[in-house]
Amino acid sequence: MSALIELDNLTKDYGSFRALDHLSLEIGDGITGLLGPNGAGKTTLIKVLLGLVSGTSGNGRVLGYDIERQSREIRARVGYMPEDDCYMHGLSGIECLQVAAQLSGFPATEALRRGHEILDFCGMGQERYRNVETFSTGMRQKLRFGMSIVHDPALLILDEPTSGLDPEERESMLNRIRLLARQIGKAVIVCTHILPDVQVVCDDVVILAGGQVTVCQELDELQKSPDPSLTVRIHGSIDRFLECLRRSQVRAEPLSDQSVCAWGTEESVSPLLWQAAVQSDVAIRSVSPSRTSLEDVFLKAVRKPPHADS
Amino acid sequence: MPIHSLGYREWSGPLESTSSRWTVIAGIGIRRAWQNMWLRRIMFFAGVPGVVMGFLIFGYERAAEGGNSAAFMFSNLLQVFIQGPNHEAIIGGIMSPEIHQNLHEQRHLFWSSLLLTLYQRSQAMMLIPVVGMIAPPLISQDMRSRAFLLYFSRPISRVQYVLGKAATVVLYLLLISFLPGILLYLTGVLLSPDISIVLHTWDIPLRIVVVSLVMIIPTTALALMLSSLTTESRFASFAWFSVWIFGVFSYWVIASFSGSISDRSPLEMLSLYHVIYEVQGWLLDVNQETVVDPGPRLALLVMLTLVSLAILFRRVSAPMRV
Repeated sequence: MSALIELDNLTKDYGSFRALDHLSLEIGDGITGLLGPNGAGKTTLIKVLLGLVSGTSGNGRVLGYDIERQSREIRARVGYMPEDDCYMHGLSGIECLQVAAQLSGFPATEALRRGHEILDFCGMGQERYRNVETFSTGMRQKLRFGMSIVHDPALLILDEPTSGLDPEERESMLNRIRLLARQIGKAVIVCTHILPDVQVVCDDVVILAGGQVTVCQELDELQKSPDPSLTVRIHGSIDRFLECLRRSQVRAEPLSDQSVCAWGTEESVSPLLWQAAVQSDVAIRSVSPSRTSLEDVFLKAVRKPPHADS
Repeated sequence: MPIHSLGYREWSGPLESTSSRWTVIAGIGIRRAWQNMWLRRIMFFAGVPGVVMGFLIFGYERAAEGGNSAAFMFSNLLQVFIQGPNHEAIIGGIMSPEIHQNLHEQRHLFWSSLLLTLYQRSQAMMLIPVVGMIAPPLISQDMRSRAFLLYFSRPISRVQYVLGKAATVVLYLLLISFLPGILLYLTGVLLSPDISIVLHTWDIPLRIVVVSLVMIIPTTALALMLSSLTTESRFASFAWFSVWIFGVFSYWVIASFSGSISDRSPLEMLSLYHVIYEVQGWLLDVNQETVVDPGPRLALLVMLTLVSLAILFRRVSAPMRV
């Protein structure tokens, strides 16, 4: 994994308040979820990455460019979708995209053509000709997403991309993010509080708390349980099934009327599960490794002191 | 999905220079301002005073050739446009038997006085409502709609942003200050009996440029600064008009209690309108008897511009700091 973002000991103070505290981080290709409680320093980190504010100490590089000295080169290659409900007053949707593209250096005609293309991609129809003040929250969200990708950036930073969207639009937005990352090869950072979104689209997760990185890991690795277990869904008597498992020295607990948690690795427990099923005359519907929920990981990460593992 | 949708395509065309990005911001402001019907009306009539006054130059040249009776008729007409010591000097000159000996000098004074009248009477009166319509929403609405993040997440600097906003105001002010001044000069040249007049008035176009800048730069900086102080453009408009109305009112009150010109109080500099007018008079080389020392007034305009710009940049940077 090549690092697109490298931060080394980065600190940012606002007066006496320390927003980023000696933060070191590497983010590579794919989709990375940036999580953290309110005030954890996510927005400050994004502003520092874009060169909108300077760090107090430390250094970093984005796409190989220095965040202090080459912020304009960075902003030319990074697409940023702000969380705030911001818009360019008095312009229509298509004009907003045209202006965004022109500010990134596109010639006027090309910017207009590209704007239409991107709005088609974002699923915005004739409403693109309406003034942005008349747009709904969801339409403005799509518009901001369009503005962030209109200049074909190599790295996308999306701050709460699905907030304010209805379930159908949310699904469409996540599909677009997935498409950009998987098929076009864009690196994407998704900053959100909606953990199911992270679970659905992200490859890696970075969790910030108190201006420090508490977790920076692949999502799959993160969700692996430290104590391996299997979740078994059955059809039949759960009591007989549990009794047979216990007779086979398998530690098992009921999760619901139709599911059981059995501790042990898949290789060691699977044969015993099938044996118990035959003995107790139940049907096994599915067997899957138990995973720690992202919510548990998040809560654990924001509660533990930073760098506790190290 | 439209039938012609191409999905997402990568883009690899040539990009335009970074130094011209401010023109995009200026373009937005200019287009939006032009949607105001009243602004379009003012712009349509902005050049008219220059052309009308141009015909006075024609009258002046006729009067200079036509003797005392023509000069007498012209002097009455001229009194409508130029008053005070300049009027007396011009009329005295034109009715003098030695008019042909110092005609070039007299002509220069007349043209400059006419320009000063143009700037003081009509163009300054247009400037106040024009800037009051254009400038207040320029930055305040960006602050209100938080458009800063959309602008500054692009490869542009704060200087380019401010330059783009300022260019919007400057363009319209050029149309009501520089353009009518030049129109007046060109009309005068075209209606003059001899093209050699250009040789004797060559400095006037340069003075028009400087005089226009004296009018444009401080007012633009002040108007943008006021716009950046609030998220409500109506408050910025109110502050803008207050500056002028309060200033002129103060000038009248203080001037009514003052005696001669030398007794004038520095408090008269509260009126931006009169400060600009007196500096313009000095730059056009007229009003020599009435104008007070232009130094403090020039310093005031420079100070006003610098302070306004300092506040403006601080306000524009503020949303990024939190």
